[in-house]
Amino acid sequence: MSEVIYLDNAATTAADPRVVEAMLECLGPAGDYANPSSVGHPAGRRARARVEQARADVAALVGAEPAQVIFTSGATEADNLAILGAARFYRERGRHLVTSRTEHPAVLDACRQLEREGFEVTYLKPGADGIVEPAQVDAALRADTILVSLMHVNNEIGVAQDVGAVGALCRSRGVLFHVDAAQGAGKLPIDVNRDCIDLLALTAHKVHGPKGVGALCVRREPRLGLVPLLYGGGQERGLRSGTLPTHQVVGMGMAFHIAVGEMGTDAARIGGLRERLWRGLAELPGVLLNGHATRRVPGILSVTIDGVEGEALLYALPGLAVSSGSACATTSGEPSYVLRALGRSDRLAQSTLRLSIGRFNTAAEIDAAVSAVHDAVRRLRAVAPVPRP
Amino acid sequence: MASLTGAGEFPSSPAIATGVAGSREQGAELVLQCRIVDGRVAEARFRAFGCPHLLAAASWLTERLPGLARDALERWDWREAADALEVPPAKFGRLLTLQDAVRSVARNWPGPAASTV
Repeated sequence: MSEVIYLDNAATTAADPRVVEAMLECLGPAGDYANPSSVGHPAGRRARARVEQARADVAALVGAEPAQVIFTSGATEADNLAILGAARFYRERGRHLVTSRTEHPAVLDACRQLEREGFEVTYLKPGADGIVEPAQVDAALRADTILVSLMHVNNEIGVAQDVGAVGALCRSRGVLFHVDAAQGAGKLPIDVNRDCIDLLALTAHKVHGPKGVGALCVRREPRLGLVPLLYGGGQERGLRSGTLPTHQVVGMGMAFHIAVGEMGTDAARIGGLRERLWRGLAELPGVLLNGHATRRVPGILSVTIDGVEGEALLYALPGLAVSSGSACATTSGEPSYVLRALGRSDRLAQSTLRLSIGRFNTAAEIDAAVSAVHDAVRRLRAVAPVPRP
Repeated sequence: MASLTGAGEFPSSPAIATGVAGSREQGAELVLQCRIVDGRVAEARFRAFGCPHLLAAASWLTERLPGLARDALERWDWREAADALEVPPAKFGRLLTLQDAVRSVARNWPGPAASTV
C-alpha cells in the first residue's frame, strides 16, 4: 500500500502500465515518434498506422466508426468544439440550446459564451437524485432548439443519466444531441448509434490513459456540420488543426482498448469496493449519499457528512487523496453548484467529500480510508460548537 | 490533524465570559470562552466549525488571550492572527469570525463580583 491512499480517480487516474509501455514506444529515437501526417516516408507511415489503430480502439469502445473520431487535447476541447462548433454552424436554423445545471464547466462555460453571442440556453434543474428526466428535456425543446447537451456521468456525484432515452427524443425531434462522456466512457456502456448521440466528448485520463488527449466522436451519416475552433494544418478532417501527439493518441487508444476488454470485470470489482466504502462511512451518524442510489457509475461516491466542514475534513485526512467536490471546482472555495442544484443547503454542500475508486485500489485501502474518515469526523465534531436550537 | 490546543469548554461559572460569532450556515462558527481572574483572561477555550485556518487561529487565540484585560479584547484585531499564522488573503474573511468572537467576550465580561473567582 502506498503512503497516501489515492481515492481521487474522478479527478484523474494513474496511467495503466500497458498504456505507459505503448506510449514509450512512440517517444524515443528508436520509436514511432514521426509526424503521423508525414506519410511520405516509412517512419511517418508507422506513426500514422499507430494513430489509426488508436482511432479504431477509441471508436470501438463507443460503437462508432473510426472515421467519426476527432482527436483533441481532452474532453474540455471536445465539449467546446461540439457545442460552439455546432451552434455556430447551425445558427441560422435556431439559437436555442438545452443543457442541465449540473454539467461540467466545460459545457456550462461554452454555453455562457454562446449566450454572449446571442444564443439562448435553458438550464434544466435535476431532481434531488441528480437525474434529469427525459420529459424535462422534451418540455424544454422549442422550434428553434438546435442542440441538447447532457453529461453521461456527473463528475461530482457519479449519477448516470439516461442518455439513450434523451438521445431518442432528440433524434425524433431533429435536434442534435451532445454527450460529455468524460466520466462514463470505459466505466459504463455507451454507444453512439444505440443512444442516438451526434457528438460524444471523450478523454483518456479518467480511464487510466494519459492527460492531454481526448476525442470528439462526430456523426457522419448524415454529415454533421461544425465550425472548428482551431485553424492551421487541417488535421483531423479540418476540424482540429495541429500535429497529432502520436504518443498521447496511442496512450488513449491503449487505455480504451483495455477498457473494451476489462470494463465488465473492473466495474464489478470497483462497484464492490464502492459499496464497501459506503457501508463503512454510513456507520457514522449524519452521513448522506449524494445522488441516485443505483443509477450511478461504479467508482464515484459523494457523501455529505453533517457537522464537519469539507476543507477541514480534507485537512484532517493527510493520508487520503480525496476531494471536497470536483477537482475542477475545489479552488473556488464556493459550495458545490452541483450539490446546490440538487437542493442541498450551502452548509451541507460544504460538508461533502468525494471519494472515487479506480482500477488499482484495494479492499485494504478502502478499509483504511473508512477508518481514517471515522477518526477525522470524530475529532472535528468534538471541537465543533453544539448546534444552537 | 494534530490535537488542537484549547479545544473544549469550561464548566458553567460566573467567571466565564462567552463570545459567539458566525454560524454553520455561513460556514464558520466559533464559541470562545474565557475564564476571568482579577480582571484579566486566565485561560481560554474554544469550539469551532469551519475551515482549517479558522480552527488553527482559534487554537492559537487560546494561547494568545491569557493575561489580557477587557480593553485589550475590545481592541483586538484579526490581523494579528493573520500575521502570526501567515493566513492566506482568501481566508481573511474567516478571521473576522475570530475578531467578532473576541469582541463578544469583551461585551459579556463578568461583573466585579465574579472577577476574583
